[in-house]
Amino acid sequence: MLSWNKKLTFLAILSGALVLIAFALVLFYAPVEQNMGVVQKVFYFHVAAAWLGMLGFLVAAVCSVMYLSKGNPNLDAVAASSVEIGLLFTAIANFSGMIWARPAWNTWWTWDPRLTTMTIMAFTYIAYFLLRRGIDDPAKKARFGSIYLIIGFATVPLTFFSARLLRTIHPTIFGSAGTGDMAMTPAMYQTMGLSIFAFSVLFALLLIVRSRLRLNEQWLEEQEAMEQEEEFGEVVNG
Amino acid sequence: MKNWLSTLKTLIWKDLLQEWRSKDMLTAMLAFAILSIFIFNYAMELDPRQRAELAPGILWVVITFSGTLGLNRSFVAEQEQGSFDALVMAVPGLASIWFAKQISNFLMMLVLIVIVLPIYSLLYNQNLFIPGLWLTLILGAWSFSAAGTLLASMTAQTRMRDLLLPVLLFPILMPVNMAVVKAGTGIMTGAALASYQVWLSILLVYGIIMTTISFMVFDYVILE
Repeated sequence: MLSWNKKLTFLAILSGALVLIAFALVLFYAPVEQNMGVVQKVFYFHVAAAWLGMLGFLVAAVCSVMYLSKGNPNLDAVAASSVEIGLLFTAIANFSGMIWARPAWNTWWTWDPRLTTMTIMAFTYIAYFLLRRGIDDPAKKARFGSIYLIIGFATVPLTFFSARLLRTIHPTIFGSAGTGDMAMTPAMYQTMGLSIFAFSVLFALLLIVRSRLRLNEQWLEEQEAMEQEEEFGEVVNG
Repeated sequence: MKNWLSTLKTLIWKDLLQEWRSKDMLTAMLAFAILSIFIFNYAMELDPRQRAELAPGILWVVITFSGTLGLNRSFVAEQEQGSFDALVMAVPGLASIWFAKQISNFLMMLVLIVIVLPIYSLLYNQNLFIPGLWLTLILGAWSFSAAGTLLASMTAQTRMRDLLLPVLLFPILMPVNMAVVKAGTGIMTGAALASYQVWLSILLVYGIIMTTISFMVFDYVILE
């Protein structure tokens, strides 16, 4: 049986290798798109990052429901870490999207439902950290945080649905076809699949490392608080 | 069930009576709402031809912003006088505390709507006595108070309090904002019901989802 640290090292090497392979495929294997040219290649990372953003918030919402029903503080640490990673990748998705949108749509930003939904979602999760910062008691912090994550995740589909009713120019890859769609070749699908897989492994690695770090931080804070209490007690008694 | 209803009625009555005696919250909300209407007039140079389309948006912003002021105050009495613990001990079933607070906040929003709409009508010489518009705003107010009451009960217990509520509340309220403005504009411009029906459904669905979630999680807010 491998030790926990060795498993993590293995996962780190695996995710590093996968991301490198995905990068190589994007550069050398995937064909250049006819209409949009080389800039379309940002799309492989854009979709993978957007997927991780959603995955991060989904994992956080599931952990929050489990935290409220089970009360295990580790679940809250995983939820908070998952939101952090989700926010990071949402930002990557937004910025890589802008790089693509400038040549493709001739604008950095447009009030497209996906763009607005992503950004409002990001604001929800930034607010989540503000809420956590405002509470000192760890148990209350975890409870309130979980409640907010559940409400936040419940409104995301409604926000998306509402924004979509207004108008969209964002290309759809899966599901119903729109006007701005790209016709993807098998090589493109393979590259995208691998890139999404590589990013997902990276997500798992980051989530484990960040959650452990967070739990260690919490443990240290508790120790410090206890030491301070002891010192205080000595001063009072001595 | 009958017992539960009478508890609910007592709790709502307590909130309303308290507000009736001090009138702090309502006065501040109304003053702020009317001021905002004046600010909008100068900020947007409202032109008579644009008004019909802009009215629902302006009204909704005015109502939600002044509503947030009220929400911030809604748990202050419980916090400052420590009556929250007494309430928790006295009332069987914690959900009724939340539900009563939600309904009294909703009633405050209704009073706000009932006063602000005629004033807006008067100031802009525009007929706002349209049942559809009122229905839309009332549905919106329900969703607003459902999400707002739950979040206010949490922010009241944080260090930042009033600062935090709008930041937490507005991203969550985004579907409601879009739906109220779109449905309201459809009604004001006399569009066919079919063109804005979906927005009314979104409002209903949002209200139901928020009320249900709040009911389920409120126990965890006051768990001590």
